[in-house]
Amino acid sequence: MLTLIEKLIFAVLVLATIYNGYWAFYKVYLVIRRGQGEPGDDDIKKRAWNAFVNWVTLRPVWKTRPVSSLFHAFVAWAFMFYFLVNFGDIVQGYFPIKFLGEGFIGNAYRFIADVLSVAGLIGMTYFLVRRFLAHDPHLEFHDNIRLHEKVLAGGLKKDSLIVGLFILFHVGFRFLGESFTIAHEGLDPYQPFASAVSSLWAGLPDTTLVFWQHASWWIALGLILAFIPYFPHSKHFHLIMAGVNFLTKPERPALGALEPIDFEDESIEQFGAAKLTDLTWKGILDPYACIMCNRCQDVCPAYTTGKELSPSALEINKRYYINDHVDKLASGGECELKLLDFALTESAVWACTTCGACVEICPVGNEPMFDILHIRRNQVLMESDFPAKLQTAFTGMERTGNPWKLSASDRMNWAKGLDIPTVDENPDFDVLWWVGCAPAYDMRAQSTAKAFARILKEAGVNFAVLGEREMCCGDSARRAGNEYLFFELATQNVETLNEVKAKKIVTTCPHGLNTLAAEYGAFGGHYEVIHHSQMIDDLIKAGKIRPKKELDATVTFHDPCYLGRHNGIYDEPRETLSFVVSETVEMEHSRNQSFCCGAGGAQMWKEEEHGAQAVNMKRYEEAVETGASCIAVGCPFCLTMLTDASKEAGDDGLVVKDIAELVAETLS
Amino acid sequence: MRYLVCIKQTPDTAELPKISPEEAASGKLSVNLVVNPWDEHAIEAGLQLMENYGGTTGAVTVGEEGAIDALRSALAMGCKDATLVKHDDEIDAWGVAELLAAAVRHDGDVDVVLTGQMTVDGNSGAVPVALARKLGWPVLTGVAKVVELTDDSITVERVVGQARLTVKAPTPVVVSVIKEIGEPRYPTFINIRKAARVKIPELTAEELGVDVPAPVVHMSNFRKPPARDAHVKLFEGTPQEAAAALIDALLEEKVL
Repeated sequence: MLTLIEKLIFAVLVLATIYNGYWAFYKVYLVIRRGQGEPGDDDIKKRAWNAFVNWVTLRPVWKTRPVSSLFHAFVAWAFMFYFLVNFGDIVQGYFPIKFLGEGFIGNAYRFIADVLSVAGLIGMTYFLVRRFLAHDPHLEFHDNIRLHEKVLAGGLKKDSLIVGLFILFHVGFRFLGESFTIAHEGLDPYQPFASAVSSLWAGLPDTTLVFWQHASWWIALGLILAFIPYFPHSKHFHLIMAGVNFLTKPERPALGALEPIDFEDESIEQFGAAKLTDLTWKGILDPYACIMCNRCQDVCPAYTTGKELSPSALEINKRYYINDHVDKLASGGECELKLLDFALTESAVWACTTCGACVEICPVGNEPMFDILHIRRNQVLMESDFPAKLQTAFTGMERTGNPWKLSASDRMNWAKGLDIPTVDENPDFDVLWWVGCAPAYDMRAQSTAKAFARILKEAGVNFAVLGEREMCCGDSARRAGNEYLFFELATQNVETLNEVKAKKIVTTCPHGLNTLAAEYGAFGGHYEVIHHSQMIDDLIKAGKIRPKKELDATVTFHDPCYLGRHNGIYDEPRETLSFVVSETVEMEHSRNQSFCCGAGGAQMWKEEEHGAQAVNMKRYEEAVETGASCIAVGCPFCLTMLTDASKEAGDDGLVVKDIAELVAETLS
Repeated sequence: MRYLVCIKQTPDTAELPKISPEEAASGKLSVNLVVNPWDEHAIEAGLQLMENYGGTTGAVTVGEEGAIDALRSALAMGCKDATLVKHDDEIDAWGVAELLAAAVRHDGDVDVVLTGQMTVDGNSGAVPVALARKLGWPVLTGVAKVVELTDDSITVERVVGQARLTVKAPTPVVVSVIKEIGEPRYPTFINIRKAARVKIPELTAEELGVDVPAPVVHMSNFRKPPARDAHVKLFEGTPQEAAAALIDALLEEKVL
């Protein structure tokens, strides 16, 4: 127990910390509120439960880097338990009692605290060794990545060292304090580690032991008081903000579903994000939650092929900018710099394939991809400053309803002689087939459309297509930042789909699937939308088609980002393949950690940004490593990109085929 | 400085081959109508002049009520004002030039009139020259670059066949531009919204005091060319092999 004077001093320090801490935390709240939109408050119970489970189990952390994740769990669980331990130590400091007593609960409490203290110290040591001795390359950035000047000057190392030493000293002295107490009061079988250490103090006089008991108490808890006002400035803040992030994260119909802009609202003067405060509130919360682990960077197809984009650098730069301007931002002042001046380069903005890997992998629920899309909106809608080649796609979508700028009346050319019913010819269809621009216009992808048509006919499905009434779904426009064009296409397509009373829709393109299923809802279009691989799977299982398992090939399935990661469809394409091919193998990156083909996010319509390697070649090399002879895809863009990569590779290139083609080949 | 861009609303180039002679003759087209793609370059040139030398750039068109959409596109690209010279009846290049000349005079002190090199539907390429004739101004055609604009002269680079000529002419002047002048800019949404709100003034031949001459050019045999027996051959193999096969085929066809 503390002396009276100690109690008084500690009480005064607590009040000072509460005061300083309150302002530091309140400023964070004010800064986040500078962002656009409002956090959702729907289904708060579910959100709270989800946030709690994520926070306690560290569920999103375990997706990758198993060793670091384990050591992180040591530190994290120790810290979580230390909320209780710190409280208990204060109680014991002020009152002559043993916190939670010496019964079962008290014994369990001391045992867990003892074990977790050691685990936390081991964990923290691992991280300090990893950063400062082992120089883990995962914590570095390529030279072409824009970084805040303080980061370049070693800011991350400094902050990491402060946090690391804080944890070591806080947990270490609390643990040592227990060992001094044990040396003073006798062994505690429920604190085996502290008891072991206490043997070091055998023979020390009682006054020395009491002094160190008090000193340890003060160092452990005094550090907490000192650290709290610094906390919002430090990356260690992630331990709270990760929970806040999961609590407030918007519910989206798909991983990357975007919010529409209200173009009817004439009071809006800024479209998309030019400055930090133009981002959503989530875009400002994210950097506070970021622990700067670079996992997003590891999985980013742009970064790993040497482009200027690093999603983690984006978050880190935002955080350093916020820290530099926290008072100004909190008091409603204007940001002077644009995001393109400090957060990332223009090339980085246009290097993103919107594959969603950064969003999927982030252990704290950050969504850097959305910032990039909001910046693209600003570049297109406000600045008209974007890669020149996109303009052809834009005007094509505007004028002819497809990004190739081919005549709208050529949309059904692929179907010549195939007797494909349009909605006018078969208004009582069961399933509306959304063919998509690529399967309709692209010569290679047309064979996917033809194969799927054959499957539908063979199965006797009562289907129809929109024919010339189908327009581009608008995905490429939206991902390129041209939200106004997307708005026009979506409005028109929803009108058409509602007019023909479409209920169940099958798409031969995951981008169409994502757009119709997850993004047309905001425009009044609500449909049951499935991908053609799902439909084929259903048809096979229902016995409507009987493909033979006769393709003697080892096939590897490439998960299209907008089918897999964005919409969670992983199994049906694989099941479908298993019906027709002799052997399937998985690539190093598959399912939710699949690697983009390089065409998403409107990359299809522009030159790839400068880097060390083309994204499609990197993916293709992974496919080659599996030893497969064929890459199966479920997306016309992936088909193009991987076919190109195969051609580039030369004679022995792998065959690239859509699942529909593979199935159709086995139909007799 | 005042720049006036003369534009025309035409079918989209992707849709042109789809239009039947009958549809074209009737004047009622079901296809998407846009700003004549050549004229988009003229708008771009007008906007560049405004940015580099100050002043204002306006757009003018001769056409039916629907041609307002083309003017809105010009405003969305950045033109400061637009005028529709309303004319519903049959008209040829000479008549258009007459109306445009009156619109230019009506506009006031125009320094540079800009046009595209031709339209994608009429294809005559006669309007810029006829317009200059009507105005009594010099005309510079095939302009790829404006080198300098002063209070009383303009210096441009013209592309003539393989050659590039730098020429100077006194202003006011009619300038007809080619693609090299610059890619037309894509309108920002802010400008699209502004353009949608603008009330575009309309003028008639009567208000301009013009007696539109009866067409002197008549289409006597307007038809599509017969479908060509074109065939596509794809060359397989590595890029090197495919290139070699392509060269062989071109030699065989005596193209090379």
